[in-house]
Amino acid sequence: MVGVEVKQAIKTRSDILLAVASVTFKEWGAYRSHSMVSIFVGPVFFVVQYFIWTAVFAGGGMPGMELDEVIRYFAATALIGYLVMDFADWNLSMLVRTGKFLTFSLRPPNHSFFALSQKVGHRILGFLAEFLPCYLIFMFVFGIDMRPTYIGWVLVSVALAFLMNFYVNYSIGLVSFWVVQSGGIRRVYSLFGGIFSGALIPLVFFPQSLQWVQFFLPFQYTSFVPAMVFLGRYELGGIEMSIPAIVGIQAIAVLVAFAFCELLNSFAMKKFTAVGA
Amino acid sequence: MKMFFSVYKSCIKTALVQATAYRLNFLLSMLITLAFNLLFPLVTILIYNAGAGFPGWDFSEVLLIQGVFTLSTGLIGMTMDGLVWATMQHVREGSFEIVLLKPTSPLTFLISTNFDADSFGLLIGGGALFIVGLVFADVSIAAIPVFIVLFAAGFCVMAGMNMLMAATSFKWVGNSRIPEIFNSLMNFGKYPLTIFPAAIRGFATFIIPVGIIAFYPANALLGDWNLRTLLPVIPCAIFMLFSIFVYKRMVRAYEGVGG
Repeated sequence: MVGVEVKQAIKTRSDILLAVASVTFKEWGAYRSHSMVSIFVGPVFFVVQYFIWTAVFAGGGMPGMELDEVIRYFAATALIGYLVMDFADWNLSMLVRTGKFLTFSLRPPNHSFFALSQKVGHRILGFLAEFLPCYLIFMFVFGIDMRPTYIGWVLVSVALAFLMNFYVNYSIGLVSFWVVQSGGIRRVYSLFGGIFSGALIPLVFFPQSLQWVQFFLPFQYTSFVPAMVFLGRYELGGIEMSIPAIVGIQAIAVLVAFAFCELLNSFAMKKFTAVGA
Repeated sequence: MKMFFSVYKSCIKTALVQATAYRLNFLLSMLITLAFNLLFPLVTILIYNAGAGFPGWDFSEVLLIQGVFTLSTGLIGMTMDGLVWATMQHVREGSFEIVLLKPTSPLTFLISTNFDADSFGLLIGGGALFIVGLVFADVSIAAIPVFIVLFAAGFCVMAGMNMLMAATSFKWVGNSRIPEIFNSLMNFGKYPLTIFPAAIRGFATFIIPVGIIAFYPANALLGDWNLRTLLPVIPCAIFMLFSIFVYKRMVRAYEGVGG
């Protein structure tokens, strides 16, 4: 009996996820040229990085990575960025500020699940309009070897990075229930995220003490970890880890982020007054 | 011109009052912008800290280039960034007619009424980086007039870029990612131009002269200048005039249905 209920609940959730993702895909598909801007921006950013690091390695090199790895790393982080990109914080903040959140609080599925489903649809579009063209440009125009060492682990790690990015961003968005204008807080997070996710510079180039701290912060799990899994080896703060081990740690980090997000969500729902809606 | 400055002065006052209405948010935004830009040379710091570097450039010299770039970005952020977003919004919402009805040109009106006080943090950050670069690099005092001319030319390039972005939004309606296209090209101006191959150097000097935003002014301050150094000022002036022309042409292409 319990099994039937669980099956029914999973089916209902899957139906909602597919329906919301499909609508979001169609909605954003109307603005697909927005996503396709990445076909220009991504390769240009990569070209800049390519020449910066080629010059740096010509002048001595950096400890922890070879030039070939650095180049593949930047191509990988750019591509992973297209798969995990998220703005749930901005969206939730806007809904709270304008009072539009009221309509979501009256619907049967909770808003966090609805937002996650939206992200799935949005990123499927990102996969088609951003990831695939840029992947082909990196592979065939720039001649970068974009074949991952362990494709299965890369898929798992990117899926976990996708969830991590969403739960952390959603938690930041939930702050809007306490401070209506949360733009400043969102930018603080974005500042630290930009630096410590590893998208700007591989974390192995940071001082040892800062590398250590990253194990206890959410940032590296959104970009650095999947990029290193793509390269086929993981090392940070002098600790070398097997790929299954770091993906396991990433999974635990995602569970912690999920639990924190749910806890914050329950407090936020008690706080919401819908004034001005 | 007198009228422009009078309107501009009033608009700055209004913008400051508006920004300080949400004081905490304004302060945080300014501090974050400041922090963002003090961290802009993070890559450079980490590279030089590891004992590596850009061949032919020491740390303070690269910092000087990045300080000039941030200073220029701060100035343009306050004065011209609003033009892009305001044009984009008016075109998307079909309310550009309101701008056309004003007793001044759309360009003047939108630049004046969209002064961005938040970018003040960027200006402070750029100023701080620039001063650090000046203190530690071997700077030639005699090159200051050349630096000022080249810095002004760099400002013209950035202003031109903003006008082109705004102009693009007349045809590519509602695309909030237009600035990303132009900003990606700006990345070539953030580092010593000598690390790029000749083709990119030529492109960044004469076609879309982003190299003049920071590299050429900083290089002049470092003593590497002669009369030929001023040559890239010509493409910058042409670029700026071309951008004004394009914006004005695109205003004519605007099709509104009364908002």
